[in-house]
Amino acid sequence: MKILKQLKMTCKDTSPLISESMDGHISFGKRLRLKIHLTICKACQCYKNQLEIIKNLAKKIGSEDFSSKKNQTLRPEVKEKIKQSLNNI
Amino acid sequence: MNDRQLDSSMWVDRYGDIMYRYTLLRVKNVDFAEEIVQNTFLAAIQAQANYAGRSAEKSWLFGILKHKIMDHFRSQKRFQSFNQSDSDDSSVDDYDDSGHWKIFPKDWGLDPEKAAENTELAHRLEECMSGLSEKFRQIFIMKEMDGIDSTQICNEFDIKPTNLWVILHRARNQLKLCLEAHWFQNKTSE
Repeated sequence: MKILKQLKMTCKDTSPLISESMDGHISFGKRLRLKIHLTICKACQCYKNQLEIIKNLAKKIGSEDFSSKKNQTLRPEVKEKIKQSLNNI
Repeated sequence: MNDRQLDSSMWVDRYGDIMYRYTLLRVKNVDFAEEIVQNTFLAAIQAQANYAGRSAEKSWLFGILKHKIMDHFRSQKRFQSFNQSDSDDSSVDDYDDSGHWKIFPKDWGLDPEKAAENTELAHRLEECMSGLSEKFRQIFIMKEMDGIDSTQICNEFDIKPTNLWVILHRARNQLKLCLEAHWFQNKTSE
């Protein structure tokens, strides 16, 4: 029973661990406690899913070819200015 | 065109806009973004002789651009020293006294593996990111968008790994709440 008590975590304890586990290595003990909590807690499972969705979306936004919604372009006069300064070198 | 040759006369027309968008997403400010793109092209033309043809022209230019953006972050850094409050956990309010969620996180009904295909949602996240404090935003970008190593981020911002975890956790939490309020709320009421 003592062991079970030690393994028990609240949602408040769990959510930072979810984040931490996505960022790198967490200790075996933490990973185990996280796993146990997640198997019994639907809310934290949803939370974990949400953070993973955000992580994957951020990776997409970060790609070189991601086109921003506003579809911004360099102003024509800035383009001209850059072209000129490139020619002058 | 041979992928392994540089053609500087075409740079601005070919890559100007995508490099500008890439930069604007990271530095937010139009003037800074224009300046960074211009400086990148200037640095590239001066470094042409060093181009070894190991990467395609575009990747090579983006490599220089990423350095310029990092330099920009560094130049701003001295204005935003690390506050102790950055590591306070303000998300305590999300839980009741027994450590349970006050408001249960919702099932967004999306498979995390496929979520990235949802362009509309990606744009929404982009908007939500602008609501983060500048420092949180930069750290989130470096870690999640650009995949920069945690050790390097800690060095850049002169913070400890534990501070980094707390900042990332808080940034994600804030983004989650923003998406929930501006996207999933509407989705469920449709």
